[in-house]
Amino acid sequence: MLALVALHAIAAASAPVLVRQFGRRAFLLLALAPLTAVIWALRHTGTVLDGGAVTQVVPWISGLGMELAFSLGALQWLMTLVVAGIGVLVMTYCAWYFGDDSPGLAAFTAHFTSFVGAMLGLVLADDLMLIFVFWELTTVFSFLLIGIDPTSRASRLAAIEALVVTTLGGLVMFVGMLLLGLEAGTLRLSAILADPPTGTATTVAVMLILVGALSKSAQVPFQFWLPGAMAAPTPVSAYLHAASMVKAGIYLIALLAPAFAGVPGWHLTLLTLGTLTMLVGGWRALRQNDIKLLLAYGTVSQLGFLTVVLSIGSRTAALAGLAMLLAHALFKATLFLCVGIVDKLSGTRDLQQLSGLGRRMPVLAVAAGLAALSMAGLPPLLGFVGKETVWAALLELADGETAGVAPWAGTLVLVGLVVGSALTAAYTLRWYWGTFAAKRGVADTVLKQPLGTGFAHSPVVLSGLGLLLGFAGAALTAAIAPYDALLPAGAHEEYLALWHGWELPLLLSALTVLGGLALFRWREAVCRLQARTAPPVTAEGLYRYVMRAVDRAAVEVTGLFQRGSVPFYLTVILGVVLLLPGSALVLGLLDGGAERLTVRLWDRPAQAMVAMVMVAAAIFTVRSRRRLRAVVLAGVSGYGCAVLFLLHGAPDIAMTQVLVETVTLVVFVMVLRRLPDYFTDRPLSVTRYWRIALSAGVGTAVAGFLLVAGSDRVGRPISERFAEAAYEFGYGRNVVNVTLVDIRAWDTFGEISVLVVAATGVASLIFLDSRSASIRRVFDIPYPEGVQKQSTSPGRRVWLPGPRTLSPDRRSIIFEVVTRLVFHTIVVFSIYLLLAGHNLPGGGFAAGMVSGLALMVRYLAGGRYELDEAAPIDAGALIGSGLFVAALSGLGPVAFGGAVLQTNDYYLSLPLLGEVHLVSSVGFDIGVYLVVVGLVLDLLRTFGSRLDRQILRAEREAAQARDRSGERVGDRAVAQQAGDQGAIS
Amino acid sequence: MTGFQAPNVEWLTLSPLLVVFLAAVVGVLVEAFVPRAQRYAVQVGLSLAAMVGTLVASLVVFARLSPTADEAELGRVVAAGAVAADGPAVFTWVLLSVLGLLSVMLFAERKVESGVLTFAGQAAALPGTEAEREASTRGLSHTEVFPLMLFAIGGMMLFPASNDLLTMFVALEVLSLPLYLLCGLARRRRLLSQEAAMKYFLLGAFSSGFFVYGLALVYGYAGSMGFAQIAAAVSADTGSRALLLGGIGLMSVGLLFKVGAAPFHAWTPDVYQGAPTAVTAFMAAATKVAAFGAMLRLFYVAFGGNRDDWLPMVWAVAILTMVVGSVLAISQTDVKRMLAYSSIAHAGFLLTGFLGIRSLDEVAPGGLTGVSAVLFYLTTYGFTTMAAFAVVSIVRDAGGETTHLARWQGLGKESPLVAGVFAFLLLAMAGIPLTSGFTGKWAVFAAATAAGAWPVVVVAVLMSAVAAYFYVRVIVLMFFAEPVGDGPSVAVPSALTTVVIAVGTLVTLVLGIVPGALIELLGNVGVFIR
Repeated sequence: MLALVALHAIAAASAPVLVRQFGRRAFLLLALAPLTAVIWALRHTGTVLDGGAVTQVVPWISGLGMELAFSLGALQWLMTLVVAGIGVLVMTYCAWYFGDDSPGLAAFTAHFTSFVGAMLGLVLADDLMLIFVFWELTTVFSFLLIGIDPTSRASRLAAIEALVVTTLGGLVMFVGMLLLGLEAGTLRLSAILADPPTGTATTVAVMLILVGALSKSAQVPFQFWLPGAMAAPTPVSAYLHAASMVKAGIYLIALLAPAFAGVPGWHLTLLTLGTLTMLVGGWRALRQNDIKLLLAYGTVSQLGFLTVVLSIGSRTAALAGLAMLLAHALFKATLFLCVGIVDKLSGTRDLQQLSGLGRRMPVLAVAAGLAALSMAGLPPLLGFVGKETVWAALLELADGETAGVAPWAGTLVLVGLVVGSALTAAYTLRWYWGTFAAKRGVADTVLKQPLGTGFAHSPVVLSGLGLLLGFAGAALTAAIAPYDALLPAGAHEEYLALWHGWELPLLLSALTVLGGLALFRWREAVCRLQARTAPPVTAEGLYRYVMRAVDRAAVEVTGLFQRGSVPFYLTVILGVVLLLPGSALVLGLLDGGAERLTVRLWDRPAQAMVAMVMVAAAIFTVRSRRRLRAVVLAGVSGYGCAVLFLLHGAPDIAMTQVLVETVTLVVFVMVLRRLPDYFTDRPLSVTRYWRIALSAGVGTAVAGFLLVAGSDRVGRPISERFAEAAYEFGYGRNVVNVTLVDIRAWDTFGEISVLVVAATGVASLIFLDSRSASIRRVFDIPYPEGVQKQSTSPGRRVWLPGPRTLSPDRRSIIFEVVTRLVFHTIVVFSIYLLLAGHNLPGGGFAAGMVSGLALMVRYLAGGRYELDEAAPIDAGALIGSGLFVAALSGLGPVAFGGAVLQTNDYYLSLPLLGEVHLVSSVGFDIGVYLVVVGLVLDLLRTFGSRLDRQILRAEREAAQARDRSGERVGDRAVAQQAGDQGAIS
Repeated sequence: MTGFQAPNVEWLTLSPLLVVFLAAVVGVLVEAFVPRAQRYAVQVGLSLAAMVGTLVASLVVFARLSPTADEAELGRVVAAGAVAADGPAVFTWVLLSVLGLLSVMLFAERKVESGVLTFAGQAAALPGTEAEREASTRGLSHTEVFPLMLFAIGGMMLFPASNDLLTMFVALEVLSLPLYLLCGLARRRRLLSQEAAMKYFLLGAFSSGFFVYGLALVYGYAGSMGFAQIAAAVSADTGSRALLLGGIGLMSVGLLFKVGAAPFHAWTPDVYQGAPTAVTAFMAAATKVAAFGAMLRLFYVAFGGNRDDWLPMVWAVAILTMVVGSVLAISQTDVKRMLAYSSIAHAGFLLTGFLGIRSLDEVAPGGLTGVSAVLFYLTTYGFTTMAAFAVVSIVRDAGGETTHLARWQGLGKESPLVAGVFAFLLLAMAGIPLTSGFTGKWAVFAAATAAGAWPVVVVAVLMSAVAAYFYVRVIVLMFFAEPVGDGPSVAVPSALTTVVIAVGTLVTLVLGIVPGALIELLGNVGVFIR
């Protein structure tokens, strides 16, 4: 069976080649594939009719328990014959329907053949997953077949509509199948049916599967996609939308009915929706003027009919249902093919324009007539045979013989179906009359060409089969018997036959035909009634509305949440942080965590004072609109932090913090020169306050975590041992410094490396070229012409060399003098800090910062040339050598048999100064010092000197532009003056 | 003080990681010392060699995986407990090596930009300035992208293999930082690219911050960074639950950000759109593999004991992610943005598979675990998405890639092959049978259903339908609509991109038809060790 499916796949793959070779006749060759399937199925007739089954299992994905399991029982046998047999006929029909030059013929043939293969696979599959796979494949190929006409918008929309509806159904079914497989413990369908699971989960699973079946078979409320899909070429409609694909849902219902008809909700859903579908479809078919659309609504109606009958789950109903299924496939395919011929030869499908075709195409008229009679349920055709038994089954239902359906409900269904059948008879008549009858006042339709034998063979064969099988009731009964045997036996054995005697079913059949005739007779009145009662809300309208709403919602939500604003994204993230971990914190605290908290408000009241200042500064920072103000206020918080350190007894850290704060503040101010004064020109909006609230919330949560974490300490902090270790191994009394250069020296080394990288990054962002090229000493500057070089003899020396490059109004002589006086002192102090840091507050980092501040003062006093005078060295060289020194001093101890970064100390006796305590880690500290100085120098060069130049250039350009426009203004003024004078004189 | 004991390093087991990192470092040196003219050839050769090398090494390690003596679990903990080289980890190594190899090829593509890389000539030059024009005329290219990518791959490989919190954090940063940079290096539309990099960096830095905060809290709770010790502490249930839950919450913020799950997904469309398409492909495929691998390990191994606490959160996140990704994708008019939302939706599907967590004794032998399902889905998704972005990178006009969907109209006429391949890949993403997308979805849904998360599966299925809708819309646009104006053109790429597309498509097809071997393999190796 796998081979059969594979055969179709191969045929589909070779289709384009064949089409190129043989044109439309390639269909005849390709039809061999389904023909093989028919022959194969016929060969297994014996086995199947004996109640056996042909099975084949090929392992596929053993990890997922997926197998390519196929099985051919009675039901599958019948379906295979329908699918493959009608497939053969439709494909041979195609060989005449299309022209050799039809656009997209190659793709069409490939898709069509693939579809036949997928459909075969679907009916033969015995594994839930495999069924789903083929199910989806039929969806995809039907999508491709419906949307075949690339230029038609309607065809595109219809294709998408069909795809969306059936895919949705298919996926829901997929969940149901997963659930069912889980409940049953196997995915093998035959095993599940043999031993069906029970319980709520099973009910849910079956209901989900039914959603798939109903959507595929176009039942209310999914019925609208089928008429829409009529945009497809007629052979597609004949095959997919009448004989095969829409039957997939019905097939599934028939498949599951023996095992799950007793599931709660099964009958309620299927009987109600089926009846409704039959009525809605029939009612709407009566209004159609397009003979193809009329058939489409008729198909919807018939599918509802089949759904009802096959879902009942009694033997009589099953017998009737399968007979009807076969009959419907035969007559509906015939009718569609006839429509195709009519459409092709006459160029229209409008029944108001068609006239007199019956006389011109008698063969077709007879074939269509037989099919129509079958559809209307008249003897001696198969449709009549099936319907007779249907009435018998429904009468059983109305008698309450079927478990789970109350007699009144059964009666209701019976009435519904009788009315539906009357509608069927009516629209059948309308169709036949519309297509073939000669109408008064309408000119006879002109045929473009006579009907060829080849073109007509398929409808003739199909309708002939319908007639033939009408007399083969006994054989059919025998063929369906194995499937019937799966169901509980009824009160009496029913059988298929033309004549059951003068019984109620016959009366019902007659009733429906009479009703149909009456409806057709008064069709004008019916039409008027329909126009008046057209429902305001249709399922299709609802579908469109939902799709539009989804589209709309997507746009709206995108506009709302995906606005490309980082602050907004961050707000969402922070909000979730507050919501999830924040609530976890609160829950944890409520859940007994609160008792563990140990809170001491302060060691000394001054801390509270400082904290209040910091809080106030923070609040004013976020409220400020001016950038400078925000920076300064943030600085206040930072200094406050330093004071807190100090109050806590950590002068070292406090000093570092102050230095860092100062450098940061200055760098900030430098950068701010190039930024607008205000964050925003608009007044503070409400969102700002929301953000403030959110930030406060997140801050509280973070603080809460800190509190919880701090209170939860069980071990002793490792820092308790630092003081002792610092002295024993690091030979220093300043624990902080020793931590940096010895205990955590690896960390420090990593940090200064990062610092180097960061400095390089900052520099390379501002300087595109090498940064060393930008150092310019004062003596490099050429003097403007006419300026005497100032003497540098003693007594004439300036305080600072750089400021003379500044314009006089930017100079401050007092500042220059003070700078000159303190600069060297600061540098010496920094070196003191560097060396003393081991035992007293200080250290490489603080010392570097102090040196940096000294350079900063020089820059502020004398501009960029003064900075180059103070440090005529490339910052990169400083940073690099700093890193090198640190690395070297770290490696140094290895040469003396120590470990990397190990500290040793020496006592050096110096004359006059006495004994000096030298520690090897000072080398490391010097490295840190150099890196930090280099970094500050780098920052000053980039954000100071470089920005100075940019600002200067911008000013010059602005001035030039002003000059130019000023000249023009001046000219105009002169001209005006001249004019005035002219006027006076 | 006891003497320092040098850790025992299992060189062979760690060789896949070492090869990548070593090659990356060498790549940096190449930038410094090799003349500019030869850098491209050297860097590409080096990167390709590195990826092939690490692939071979990973395969060797994979082949050597065997149950340890005392337990029936595959793999072992190496590098002094920092790295767990178990089945899932080594599998992601193999997967990342292959995806990395393909990414190198995409990165190295020069033909579509007429002889230069698709990366900026000089990233530091301001867009629209003289410097940029000069870089362009001189035909400069940033060959630094190759070592950057190698570092990222190294981080990605370490991420899911890390066996303690600290290694995990280091890996997270190692993989993230190069990506931030790579995002900003597009040759065309540079402001968009730089904005993308900026956004990714800022938000990524924040989420990394949360991750490390959460890490600290968990450390505070468990008193150890090791996953095994954390698992023990969680089982013993000592210490403050507020710490543990807060820690889990904060760490998941970091991880969910990386996988692009809602509500931390907002960066995805902006970054995917702005980044160079080769980088987008790399990010979309490889980052997801790494981040999900790490997430699986963290949650399954370390926090498996209290999964009742965090499972509801993952349920909610999974549902939200799928809905957001699928529904928002509908309104997109840009291919890359659409694929970005689709990747969000896929993150949701992956999270659905993630819900398939069960105790080992609940799983039948050879049955599908959440780990195997997610890893399988990652494999299918990685190849499909990489091929899809590769296709995006060759649909171009004079202004570079034409990512606006309106310009894709009628592509099926212009180039049936490219449009056909793209349509196939989209169908795979939609989860149509006979593509790997279907088997992948099936695996995660089955795993989640088995663990009782069927309500999430129902949502997942519904969202698959929505997703199918917008994928199919693109297919319809390509095939069933007439080209407007002078339609899109398909640049003929070099063999490099062609190979990527071919491999991606082929894997998508093969895993759709015969995924059995891979699933079986994953069923056998898909167990974490502690």
